[in-house]
Amino acid sequence: MKLNHKFAQKIGLLLLNVFFIALCFIVLIPILYALSISFNAQGGLLGSDFRFIPRAFTLDHYRAVLVDQPLFLWFGNTLVLAFSAVGVALSVSVPGAYALSRFRFGGRQKVFSGLLLLHAFPAILSMFAIFRLLSPLGLINSRMGILIIYVGTMTVFGLLNLKGYFDSIPIEIEESAAMDGAGMWHTIKSILLPLARPALIVTGVMVMIFVWNEYIYAITFMTGASNYTLAVGLYTLQATEMTGSWPVFAAASILVSLPILFIFFATQKYMTTGLTAGGVKG
Amino acid sequence: MKLLFVCLFAALMLTVLASCGGQADEDGVITLVIWHDKEAEVAAALQTKLDELAPDIIVVLERKSGLTETLKLVGNSPGAAPDMFFFAHDKVGVYSEMRIIVPISDFVDAALLDLFLPKTIEAATYNGRVYQLPLYFETLLFMYNRAIMPDDDVPTNTLDLFRFMQRHTGGGHFGFVEQFNNAYFVGGWMHGFGAEMISADGVPMLDTPEMIAALHYYGRLMRLMPNEAEFATINTLFREGRAAATIGGPWLIPSIREAGIDLGIAPMPIVSETGLPLAPFMGVQGLHVLRVAAENPVRNEAIRTVLNHLISTDIGVALAQASGSAPALAASFDLPVIYNDPMVMMMLETAQTATPMPNIPEMDIMWTVAAGMLVDINFRGHEVEVAAANAQRRAEDLIALMR
Amino acid sequence: MHRSKNLKNALMAWTSLSPALIFIGLIILFPIGYTFYISLTNMNIFNWFDFRVVGLGNYRRALFVFDSGFLRALWITVIWTILNMVLQLVIAFVMASLLNVQKLKYARVYKTILMFPWAMPGYVSILLWRHGIFNAQFGLLNQWLYQLGMEPRRWLADDLTAFVVCMIVNLWLALPFMMMIMDGALKSLDKSYYESALIDGAGWFTRSVRLTIPAIRPIIAPAVIITLFTTFKQFDVIYLMTQQVGAQTGANIHTVLTYAYESAFVTRNYGYSSAVSIIIFAMLIAFSLLVTVLRKRGQSA
Repeated sequence: MKLNHKFAQKIGLLLLNVFFIALCFIVLIPILYALSISFNAQGGLLGSDFRFIPRAFTLDHYRAVLVDQPLFLWFGNTLVLAFSAVGVALSVSVPGAYALSRFRFGGRQKVFSGLLLLHAFPAILSMFAIFRLLSPLGLINSRMGILIIYVGTMTVFGLLNLKGYFDSIPIEIEESAAMDGAGMWHTIKSILLPLARPALIVTGVMVMIFVWNEYIYAITFMTGASNYTLAVGLYTLQATEMTGSWPVFAAASILVSLPILFIFFATQKYMTTGLTAGGVKG
Repeated sequence: MKLLFVCLFAALMLTVLASCGGQADEDGVITLVIWHDKEAEVAAALQTKLDELAPDIIVVLERKSGLTETLKLVGNSPGAAPDMFFFAHDKVGVYSEMRIIVPISDFVDAALLDLFLPKTIEAATYNGRVYQLPLYFETLLFMYNRAIMPDDDVPTNTLDLFRFMQRHTGGGHFGFVEQFNNAYFVGGWMHGFGAEMISADGVPMLDTPEMIAALHYYGRLMRLMPNEAEFATINTLFREGRAAATIGGPWLIPSIREAGIDLGIAPMPIVSETGLPLAPFMGVQGLHVLRVAAENPVRNEAIRTVLNHLISTDIGVALAQASGSAPALAASFDLPVIYNDPMVMMMLETAQTATPMPNIPEMDIMWTVAAGMLVDINFRGHEVEVAAANAQRRAEDLIALMR
Repeated sequence: MHRSKNLKNALMAWTSLSPALIFIGLIILFPIGYTFYISLTNMNIFNWFDFRVVGLGNYRRALFVFDSGFLRALWITVIWTILNMVLQLVIAFVMASLLNVQKLKYARVYKTILMFPWAMPGYVSILLWRHGIFNAQFGLLNQWLYQLGMEPRRWLADDLTAFVVCMIVNLWLALPFMMMIMDGALKSLDKSYYESALIDGAGWFTRSVRLTIPAIRPIIAPAVIITLFTTFKQFDVIYLMTQQVGAQTGANIHTVLTYAYESAFVTRNYGYSSAVSIIIFAMLIAFSLLVTVLRKRGQSA
């Protein structure tokens, strides 16, 4: 009977693995399409006999991106921006979310629903106003300017997302810590943040990916070539009817996505709460 | 902990600020930035010519996708805007209204402008002033694949073209393809019927009898064209040898040759009904000067030097060859390298009848509305008269809303 | 005593909130206010610098946008939002639960691969879908149909198919985020909540409905609401798939935003299009109030 159960479990796991492998393949089809174009020595975006493994294989398109384009400059710019944005966004969101979650104060509910509502305004429509705001401050074509935009855009998400997780952590844990005489910041640091680690990671990764792939603000506000981020650089490589090459563009797109995947894979490990499961949570 | 956050925050801000690069010019050397959206070969040719001005003036060419939209926003902002940009002439109306660009005549003697083909100067004239230093111009060309359409089979009029299409379309192959939902391409047919999308003073003309006739005629051809109208599909069909002929831009030629197609170029067919040739739009590519740069005396002087340096046949020819287009200086056509090039001469011939793209701000709307009209007719099966009347009303409404 | 504690509490709360609120004020609140101000002016490309306040005239003209075409777009947007949200939530929850099956060794690898759609800039992948997969002449899908001996078809030509195709692309783009949120939420719960043997499917379902979902609901609620707005505001997918000038497919599916784009923003009349933006914003607020009311009702039920 027990053996039977184990056997059934094994079959189930096998099926689950098969399911996920199939799913991964289906999800990857457009990516594999791009991959195939980027390695194909002949032909462009379209062709009447497309195959996933190109007949004539080449690395030229990758060479064109890595050698002919200042990819590492873009990469460096993006990295600085992305990490600053994650750092700043988390530093402002954590205390804010804590306040929203733990303090009962006048206007709390209003702030909360106000934040939700603000998210309704299409960001694309704000472009012109943001330009009018940053231009007199000399923050156009500056990293500081774009950082403010990114943090401002993502803070709403950070606040709300972290608040949601904080809410799920029973307040009693902190109260006992407070009784031991720990201050608010200490409580946040030593109790709340470890417990909310998945939330911090989700928020951080979210900000990271946003900055990494954001191009609408970046192409408009980071106009100098020395300030280009990866997304802007990629955008300038875009194939149009007259210029650019789809294979090179595809190769660049793949290269731009890889670091994000790496970061995602690396952070997976930490996607558990800091305290051992089954401990204090109710 | 609070302190830690504050410190962290401040430190981050400082690193970010510190890493902000300024664009200060070193003593005596002035750096000008030109935005463009051109092929790498064209940019390289221009760069070579501009490097002759070094070390006093350094010119940096930066490629921008979505250049026109970015300029609309940052064009008046020193520090974010470039000094010049290299683009087709058709946005000068918008930019001059927004006071983003200044007339070229502030920098170049009027007498020198007479050296250019009149049509290239006329193209960039808005409210009586010239806003672009023309470098080269392009028109669409009638291209054919000799393997399917031998030289003596090339249609000289649209009736022949239609018959050829009937004979050669089927089984994934086509007699003739072009981007039939794109007003830039269909424009040639409209002009061939004596129609135009917009009058010189900004009145939409989408429901004139000439326009209706052109659209009816085009509808018959369209039925013999593929399922997709966008450029990647159309150009791939021709490159793969699945389409016998196409009307396309000179920018296609390198990739067509690379694909091993035996390419022929012929004059535009004559519209059998009107006796007029198909008259595609003409685009003049050249340099525009931004107001914010012109207002700076040092930059102003450097811009003057750059522009005057570019009035020479050698750069015109080099750019024309890099882009497959035709030079804008009239004297270029006396050079053997140009008059022995059948393709450039074909473009010059087409340009005699071609219409420069209108440069008035209202035209921005016409491209969108006319494309919508073509889709209504070609893909949604709307009656030509109904679609044209709707589009006309729509264009009128939108133009009224511009002010 | 009690009062002063309250006051101190409030002070602490606002201090902690203020850095975040400053950023939000600059980047989100200010633009809304400024857009409203511009909507009262006659700013357009013909008086770019010398615009002046003209009052509510733009709003009167803006009503012109809200014709029957707009009504249709509004309906499509609502259906689009509801269908996308329901599918996203269900699929993401099932996926996240399956990925958290305890003995699934390669879960991290699967998860990373499934995140790929999110790692690429959206416009790139939409263009890949549009041209690589759904092109009527050369698209992968039609090449497969052809090899199977079937007739190729124009996937984006009629409204219904195009809508479904756009929805598939949108799900493809949006699911990674939702999966990540669900995964994070599940991870923050005690394992006994959701851990389940693979085989007792019925048990899993009951447990999910009774225990897991109520437990993660407050955690995922903000992300869900934000996604709701994102879906409502979705522009890129529908525009790039069906309406790019020169590459239109014939399908006539507009969302509120693509419709406003075609009938207001193309005019480059900033006063006028700002008025349209503000009206759309007001509608979104109304929409979200409706959602809040429905949610409250759902919670009390």
